[in-house]
Amino acid sequence: MTDMTRGRAGSGDAPRVRSFGYVNWRGVWTLYHREVKRFLKVFTQTIAAPVVTTLLFYTIFSVALSNRVGTVGTTSFVVFLAPGLIMMTILQNSFANTSSSIMVSKVQGNIVDVLMPPISPLEMMCAYIAGGVTRGMIVATASTAAMFFLVDLPFEKPAAIAFFALSASVMLALLGMIGGIWADKFDHMAAITNFVIVPLSFLSGTFYSIERLPESWQYFAQFNPFFYAIDGFRYGFIGQGDAGFWLGAAVMLGVDLLLFLIVHRMLVTGYKLKS
Amino acid sequence: MDPRNGIILGGRPVARRFGAVNYRGLATMYAREMLRGFKIWGITLAAPTVRALLFASVFGLAIDRPDAMMGGVPFIDFLLPGLVAVAALERSFQSSAFSIVYDKNEGIFPDLAMLPLTPGEIVLAYAAASVSASLIVGAVVWAALLLVGGAVPVAPLTLIFFVALGSLMIALFSQITGLWARKWDYLESVQTFIFMPFVFLSGVFFSIDELSAAAQPFARANPVFYIVDGIRFAITGRADANPWVGAGVCIAVIVILWVIVYRLFAAGYRMKS
Repeated sequence: MTDMTRGRAGSGDAPRVRSFGYVNWRGVWTLYHREVKRFLKVFTQTIAAPVVTTLLFYTIFSVALSNRVGTVGTTSFVVFLAPGLIMMTILQNSFANTSSSIMVSKVQGNIVDVLMPPISPLEMMCAYIAGGVTRGMIVATASTAAMFFLVDLPFEKPAAIAFFALSASVMLALLGMIGGIWADKFDHMAAITNFVIVPLSFLSGTFYSIERLPESWQYFAQFNPFFYAIDGFRYGFIGQGDAGFWLGAAVMLGVDLLLFLIVHRMLVTGYKLKS
Repeated sequence: MDPRNGIILGGRPVARRFGAVNYRGLATMYAREMLRGFKIWGITLAAPTVRALLFASVFGLAIDRPDAMMGGVPFIDFLLPGLVAVAALERSFQSSAFSIVYDKNEGIFPDLAMLPLTPGEIVLAYAAASVSASLIVGAVVWAALLLVGGAVPVAPLTLIFFVALGSLMIALFSQITGLWARKWDYLESVQTFIFMPFVFLSGVFFSIDELSAAAQPFARANPVFYIVDGIRFAITGRADANPWVGAGVCIAVIVILWVIVYRLFAAGYRMKS
């Protein structure tokens, strides 16, 4: 049966406009599929490398500090450290996926191939975010599995682990889109990664309890969403955190929503993408 | 005009000749490498400085006891020389290899074979640029670390010697990597899976006495360990191993690597097809 609504020119008929329902599912799926294949094709760089780097960090910090720090609160240092490192790799990889995808498309000039198809800005961003989240989750799962052999990690609140992993991944995928759209050159992208994303993921409580910061910095930490991501994720593993679960969850949802609206606005107006 | 410079003087053009060493060619290539590296100083100079400061802050904040020691000195005094070493060695690894792979991608790498430079001169130009870049990055990172409790080296000349020695060793390894790598992926794999573990596990962040007895021989077989140890010796005056034995190990490794790189360039490995 030839489906006329799909725009195929039937025998002798003029071609018709292809129509979709409310959501162009196939378009979203195709773009998502492209995003995932993009990073899986170079999985040594996008999955194996971050896992090895995470293990390397774990090794140096545990060898250097486990005899010198002992416990953080009531948790042993290595159990405190492991969730922080896993979250750090989620943050960096979700960001890297969307930002590099858009950046490469812009530099190579094939960004029009994403702007021209019949998908709405909303659909486009969902596909990109899902791609970034997929990479974040694969890297997180692989890192957690590897950590399993090194440290006796409790899994106190699995739902909190899943919630903070996903919401943090969405946050960084959105930040990656903003970075990718804004940056004109790879240098700009490297600057954002080196001077914003990496410092925030290092200093927001990956390696120490936020109580270790001087008073004035603790005040600023309250406004740092990276802190809530790391703290909430760790809460999921060890059952205690510096901020409460509900406050952390509210902050993450609020920030995700805000970033979502910003990216949507950027895509609708065609900021730096359409001339 | 000097006919040796190959300028046509009415008659036939004369082949340009050089003495034993083409100094101008060397200087030109050296200058290109340096410019290429520091043109993107945000990535090659500012980023390693920020990262060293980050590591210093993170370790400083994670340790809750101010009296924590490592290898017989206060922890932060132990750590900071290691961070200078990481920054210097990383720059050395990245300069030649990235330059070569970049040229390969642009398709201009085989042009090197047409230059009036001998393979030895090419190796020397790349190596000199790597070593200079490392010394600059090392100096900047060291100066930045003064902000977080860095120390004035007890033996400045020894420090320069060990940074230069280490970066020369890594520079030669970097050239081999660059020649071997067909694509960025290859290069990044070597960086992530070989270079980083060798450097991070070389005693930058911990004294190798902290490692289990089983891991000791592996740590001591890592030539990067002797560089980091030598740099720490020059800054703090204490070392895990005898630094001069370490220097000997590094010089031996450098000679071996130099011969390999020389032969690869002379043979046109992955350069002339």
